[in-house]
Amino acid sequence: MANLLEVRDVVAGYGNGPAILNGASLSVQPGKVHCIIGPNGAGKSTLLKAIVGMLRLREGDVVFKGNSLKGLRPDQVLRRGICFVPQERALFPKMTVRENLRMGGFSMADKAALENRIDMIEERFSILKERRDLPAETLSGGQQQTLAMARTMILKPEIVMLDEPSLGLAPKIVREVFKIVQIMSEEGITILLVEQNALMGLKYANWGVVLDLGRTLFEGPADKVLGDPRIQELYLGGRRAA
Amino acid sequence: MMSFLDAQDIITARRTYNEGLTQQVDSRRAAWFPLVLLATLLALPALQFVGNYNYVIHLILYTACYVVMAAGWNILGGFAGYVSLGHNVFFAIGGYFAGMILARYGISTIAMAPLAGLVAGIAGYLIGLITLRVRGPSFIISSLALVMIFRILFENWHFIGGAAGVALPANELSVKWTKLPYYYAFIIMAAFALWVTYRIRHSKFGLGLRAISKDEIKAESAGIDTRFYKVLAFAISAFFVGMAGAVWGEYLTYIRPNIFLVILVSVNMVLMCIIGGKGTIAGPVVGAVLIIAFNEVFVATLGASEINVLATGLVMMLTLIFFPLGVVGTLAKHNRLPRILNWD
Amino acid sequence: MIIDIIQILALGISLGGVYALMGSGLSLVFGVMRIVNLAHPAMIMGGAYVAYWAFRLAGADPIAMLPVAVLILAATGLVLYKLVFEREAQSARYSEMTVLLTFALAMVVEGLLGAMFTNTQRITSPEYATDAYFVGDVFVPKGQLFAAVTSVAIISALALFLKYSRFGNAIRATTQNREAAQLLGVNVNHVCLVSFAIGVGLAGAAGALVSFVFSFFPSKHWEWIVILMSLVVLGGMGSVLGTVLAAFILATASVFVGFYFGATWSTLTFFVALFVVLLVRPQGIFGEKPELA
Repeated sequence: MANLLEVRDVVAGYGNGPAILNGASLSVQPGKVHCIIGPNGAGKSTLLKAIVGMLRLREGDVVFKGNSLKGLRPDQVLRRGICFVPQERALFPKMTVRENLRMGGFSMADKAALENRIDMIEERFSILKERRDLPAETLSGGQQQTLAMARTMILKPEIVMLDEPSLGLAPKIVREVFKIVQIMSEEGITILLVEQNALMGLKYANWGVVLDLGRTLFEGPADKVLGDPRIQELYLGGRRAA
Repeated sequence: MMSFLDAQDIITARRTYNEGLTQQVDSRRAAWFPLVLLATLLALPALQFVGNYNYVIHLILYTACYVVMAAGWNILGGFAGYVSLGHNVFFAIGGYFAGMILARYGISTIAMAPLAGLVAGIAGYLIGLITLRVRGPSFIISSLALVMIFRILFENWHFIGGAAGVALPANELSVKWTKLPYYYAFIIMAAFALWVTYRIRHSKFGLGLRAISKDEIKAESAGIDTRFYKVLAFAISAFFVGMAGAVWGEYLTYIRPNIFLVILVSVNMVLMCIIGGKGTIAGPVVGAVLIIAFNEVFVATLGASEINVLATGLVMMLTLIFFPLGVVGTLAKHNRLPRILNWD
Repeated sequence: MIIDIIQILALGISLGGVYALMGSGLSLVFGVMRIVNLAHPAMIMGGAYVAYWAFRLAGADPIAMLPVAVLILAATGLVLYKLVFEREAQSARYSEMTVLLTFALAMVVEGLLGAMFTNTQRITSPEYATDAYFVGDVFVPKGQLFAAVTSVAIISALALFLKYSRFGNAIRATTQNREAAQLLGVNVNHVCLVSFAIGVGLAGAAGALVSFVFSFFPSKHWEWIVILMSLVVLGGMGSVLGTVLAAFILATASVFVGFYFGATWSTLTFFVALFVVLLVRPQGIFGEKPELA
């Protein structure tokens, strides 16, 4: 099956600074959960930002369903069907939960359809319904992550990219977050996930990608990545397979 | 797809990759140039034996006065990254302190300059304790507020003459030589200010300030006492501006709020540093020469002060937009900096 | 005594209404773009001159001229944004850079106005500017009252626009989290452009009102800068509501100080308030972030 999204030899960096990505490549297959792992500073978040247009590509290309995304702004990339939830969860702290959800459908022209979608999301995630009129900043970390992820589903995007959704959350909450990832996947959304918690991320993923030194070192089925002794030594805490 | 065979290869590759991220610094310099420049300036008044060069002396003296202030401003604004638009407050404090002593007890402001600088420095330390609690735009705003507060206070304080100010006695030298004491005072203060900024830049203190300028939170977590560092930088920069103010009052033979506490004075300091190159040693000198030359041409051709304000604003905007690093910074970035201007 | 206090409140609140409009555009622009527009008061000055000359040459009422001042200034804002601020978005030290830029811009505007209109004190003098209402022993200057009512009406319209319109929501979203707004499909650059034009337009509106409340001359904007900054800082930078409340509080306080200690010290109220706020609660009344770097 054809790849949904192709990242080809991307070189990118911040401002006039050095290149953080040095020829990173990646192929995203429809319907699967992809997990990118790698050490700090490997360029994982940078890769997601480059895909979504927050960073200019110096070289290489990003192709989504046969069309290049190169040079598009984030709001334009979103309209093509790619949602990105950055590390900081990207909520509007002073806006209510409901208003935050409504911003999730900012690019929808049909207002009635938008309200319908929001109602459906609220049905599915009851906590968001309970807190609908409270400012987003009053939610707990896990609830905020739920809101940020649920909000992406309003647009029914083809790909959702999540940057370290488990960051700063208690283990129990992390499992809930990954349950949402599963729900999204079951809805037919393709997931591209960056995880510091590599074991957890790979457990829920179908496809693993190792990013280091600004490029892709390895990609393959998630269980194969988990089982590779070299990867275990370098990225999964040094436990050699017995 | 795995392009490395061994874990060790990747670790080695990572090290070279990381080294590639640090940028190379050019450290060529020509130490003789500033010294020759200083010697020339010290010998220059000998011209008075063969003619009347009072205008030249005035221009150099005026430039040197601004070099003292801009170099002082540079310590806080250039090294620590705290842009103050209110440093003329210390110009006023120094000027009024030394000026009042001259008016009351007849002690030369040149002799009092270090003490006046110290008073300004202490004032800077105390003010810094308050205003340095905030940074970025808030700090800039607070510095502007400072000028307004001091202007109102000075204009309503009868002991120091209120808005009318105080007249100061001129020295008793003949017209030909009357500027020279101030000329030498400003040249020596300028050289001293530049020497101090050089020393600070190459000290642990200077490193700390530059760390604060890059990322204050990280600097603090690296163990730098950021609060003390920046307040001290504020005090030192106020010291130099105050010293310049002390002598400037006597040179003009009067002290008055609308000489010291006008926004154009503090703008000039900032503008000189930006045009020359913030955070470089030679920057304030280059900037002072350019701005004063520019001002002379403008005032001579167009006169009116509104036009001067307009032109200063325009030059500042264009510099910020097209050369935010200033002359020295831009040249250095492109490896085009002449060795004689590399005083870092 | 009671009469004094009622008098102070009446004057303070009507003065606060004027300051509220002067500060709201500044606050909006800071919220959306993180630009402290030090040229804002100079632009208010521009609006004041529009109203002044319309009155002097054609006898036009300054309140009626308000939309014209808004349009002229908003158009200026659009051009300035395109010429100057759009390119700065990439700048590494954006907030510091833009403060210096707007500072320089303020000088340019001051110099232009000074060269065109000289530094003579001006004031627009429609009949109501010198008239007053009396309620018992308490008086309210008509000019200030009209200005305050107009100002409150404009601010209310702005608040409704921000809360309920789609574009207003985009503006609020950008204020609260620029990156998130962009990722949800908001064209942030466009939001900034429009917000800047609205902000400068509000300066024009404030200028038309100010023209018959205060006497003015080009270099007076320096004084206004610090007054308006004290409102914006006390209100918590970027919060329009906070700025409006701060305007009423500080204006009343300044009238109080002026009443008991003389007019010289009433302006000082704002400057000292700014310092005290920075010292005690740098984030202002409604602000959240401890610093604004």
